[in-house]
Amino acid sequence: MSTRPTLRHCLGLGIALLSISALACGENLAQAQARNQVVNVYSGRHYNTDKTLYAEFTRRTGIKVNLLEGKDDELIQRLRSEGTNSKADLLVLVDAARLYRAQEANLFRPISSTELNKDVPANLRDPGRRWYALTRRARPVMVNTALVNPALIRTYADLARPELRGKLCLRNRASVYSQSLVADELIRRGATATSQWLRGVIANNSQPFYSSDTTMVRAVGQGQCGATIANQYYLARLLSGDNAADRNTASKARVVWPNPTHVNVTAGGVTRSSRNPDAARRLLEFLASPSSGEGYAAANNEYPLKGWGNNPTLKRFGTFRTSPVSMEQMGRRNKEAVQLMTQAGWQ
Amino acid sequence: MLLVVVVAVSLLALLPLLTLLRQAMVSSDAQSLALGVDGAEQIRGTLLLVAGEGLIGGVLGTVTGWLTAGCSFPGRRLLRIAQLVPMAIPAYLLAASLIDWASYRGLRIHGLGWAIALLSLANYGYVFLLSTESFAVSGRRLMEASRSLGVGPWRCFFRVALPIALPAIGAGVALSAMEVVNELGAVRLLGVPSLSAGILDRWQVDGDPKGAAVLSLAALAIVGVLIASERQLRRRSRRWNLGGEAAPQPLWHLLGWRAALAIGVTALPPLLAMLIPGLWMAQGWQNLTPEALAELWPLALRSLGLALTASGVTVGAALLLAIVRRWSPQLMVRQLSFVAGLGYAVPGSVLALGLIVLGGPLAMSPLLLLLWGYGDRFMAVSKQGLDAAFERIPPSVDEAAISLGSSWTDALRRVHLPLLRGPLLVGGLLVFVDVVKELPLTLALRPFDFDTLAVRVFQYASDERVGAAMAPALLIMLLGLLAAAALVPALERR
Repeated sequence: MSTRPTLRHCLGLGIALLSISALACGENLAQAQARNQVVNVYSGRHYNTDKTLYAEFTRRTGIKVNLLEGKDDELIQRLRSEGTNSKADLLVLVDAARLYRAQEANLFRPISSTELNKDVPANLRDPGRRWYALTRRARPVMVNTALVNPALIRTYADLARPELRGKLCLRNRASVYSQSLVADELIRRGATATSQWLRGVIANNSQPFYSSDTTMVRAVGQGQCGATIANQYYLARLLSGDNAADRNTASKARVVWPNPTHVNVTAGGVTRSSRNPDAARRLLEFLASPSSGEGYAAANNEYPLKGWGNNPTLKRFGTFRTSPVSMEQMGRRNKEAVQLMTQAGWQ
Repeated sequence: MLLVVVVAVSLLALLPLLTLLRQAMVSSDAQSLALGVDGAEQIRGTLLLVAGEGLIGGVLGTVTGWLTAGCSFPGRRLLRIAQLVPMAIPAYLLAASLIDWASYRGLRIHGLGWAIALLSLANYGYVFLLSTESFAVSGRRLMEASRSLGVGPWRCFFRVALPIALPAIGAGVALSAMEVVNELGAVRLLGVPSLSAGILDRWQVDGDPKGAAVLSLAALAIVGVLIASERQLRRRSRRWNLGGEAAPQPLWHLLGWRAALAIGVTALPPLLAMLIPGLWMAQGWQNLTPEALAELWPLALRSLGLALTASGVTVGAALLLAIVRRWSPQLMVRQLSFVAGLGYAVPGSVLALGLIVLGGPLAMSPLLLLLWGYGDRFMAVSKQGLDAAFERIPPSVDEAAISLGSSWTDALRRVHLPLLRGPLLVGGLLVFVDVVKELPLTLALRPFDFDTLAVRVFQYASDERVGAAMAPALLIMLLGLLAAAALVPALERR
């Protein structure tokens, strides 16, 4: 007998809570929208410091920012399905491949902004003016110097050298980071050379393909892998983290910058369905501007759009020559790159 | 009238799936209907996972269910409740924390074996819940009789208790296997190819909805087989039992090493399930930041509100279907109610897309869509146990009620509901725990600024920012434990 009221009470409470929160949410949205003072952001990034930046934007402009964070591909699909009903104004995505996918699905609208053209270098924005990069990340080689002589590696092509047999660790094919790196090679060196290179790299691979960069970086530090390819911020995060053992492990992984180094971006664009395109453009300009761009990049140990930033950990990694390949090209050739990877046995 | 209701409920459940199929069929950018090498590997991966988890989870759930219901040993009551702990911990959290913890120590956790082990740990609770309920209630008299005839505990288990509990065990295995079919995060982290990942990739990454639909059909077929075999099993060993009046004390008293063994066996799974995230948290507690703690309260409130509402809605609908099944002799109704449980088969993210396509033009509130999705997805969770319990009530009871002049509503209120209170509560709490852990639907359907605990854990974990994921993960575990505690009366008093 005693269980019945509990269940009923719980239900009542749940419904009450839910309707209150739904009500509160709906009202804010409606009020703000009436004054055209809101930007709804779909973002593939999830950093609390991003929110500080959005709050700063609201403070300066009075435009409220609503945020929906998710995985990039899911957000793209959601926006596609929502079509013209979508409430999203700004779509922020990580990686050129995703940006291209969104662009092909016709989710962005072209915008003209002298500020964006000034702040975002040409190869980091869509030639069709649909999206603009906000931060940069690089994917260098990291080696354990006790196992691999860093001098062996001058380019990504060197990763196929027979001296590295059984010493390489690789991220899986499903990872868009791997895909974009291969697309970069494909554009610079052509399909035949890339295919050959991939076979050499796979032959050097020593472990089942990894599903996260952090575990690969640790494996290099611990000596289970001689070399790997990972985004610079994973190593920076371990190095600047609070965990002493992790700092120690990470300190044994050394960054080797291939010439040129593959670079990718986080970028944003105003959605086709946006009802507040001007406000969305202003937010984009704000995020891409050098002052806030530093903050956006710093949240994740990334590089700003120009120069190397002031992050002390990143400074210790040194500088590099970035690949001339544009983000747009890289996205365009993604499918081809994945095909080559599959053929070469990259799992 | 009843027929109309059941058709409506089933339609609600089916609508998103039908929408998707239609979308898939009309879309022009499809490549081919062939499964390809990847597709075959994904089906193989899912089948191996289901088989492995079904076996290990099934045995683990049955053993813990029997030990804590049929035997007495020190700490039995506590350990009985503790079996619910692993269910409260999402599999992707187990996988992410184990991988990270091990990698910190230079160990590599990867591959099918680990996936089966972790999924068994995360899902054996379904088997435990349904089997322990059955061990405690059904066939009590038969067990007592067999004991008074000198049958020992082992024989009693294999000859009497197990056959009686088989339908419940089957239902539990089917439920847990369905969770496995749907599992995405953990298997991906562990590098096991799976249907759920394949469906998502084909749809979202390759932009090939037709290919995704083909894979969805494969997943649907697996779940269809699971549900049907569970039905078959139940039909073959149908037994009616009112339960209720039996004393709740276990029959067999274990002493000495037997008791120690029983304690060890029943304590190990919940301990492991807590230790894995626990050790991982201990390794990174320095990463807990005040700002992460500050956002916990709204996150938890949203998770709680959603889960409570969803479990109410879902259990209500499941009860409705079960009632209609009982009173209507029509085959169509039975089939419809079977079909209504199929939402469980479709990966949450695919279901979500169906709902978005459906809900967009209707301008439905995202929260309503989300609840619809939860209901659709978890209908089977509450229905399975409920159907099994309903079937244990002898039809003679209904006949007696009718012959005494009661309508079916009277019979429901005065006879069935009191008898079904336990299964209803169990069903509701299972849905509660599932919703708190649920990821793909919540990710895809929630409104702006409406993150939940699971969403946060997942986002942080997929950014490989393990420390930030810690606080919300801890709260998910806490909510699950609360739900488990709420189950105590249903398990202990009857």
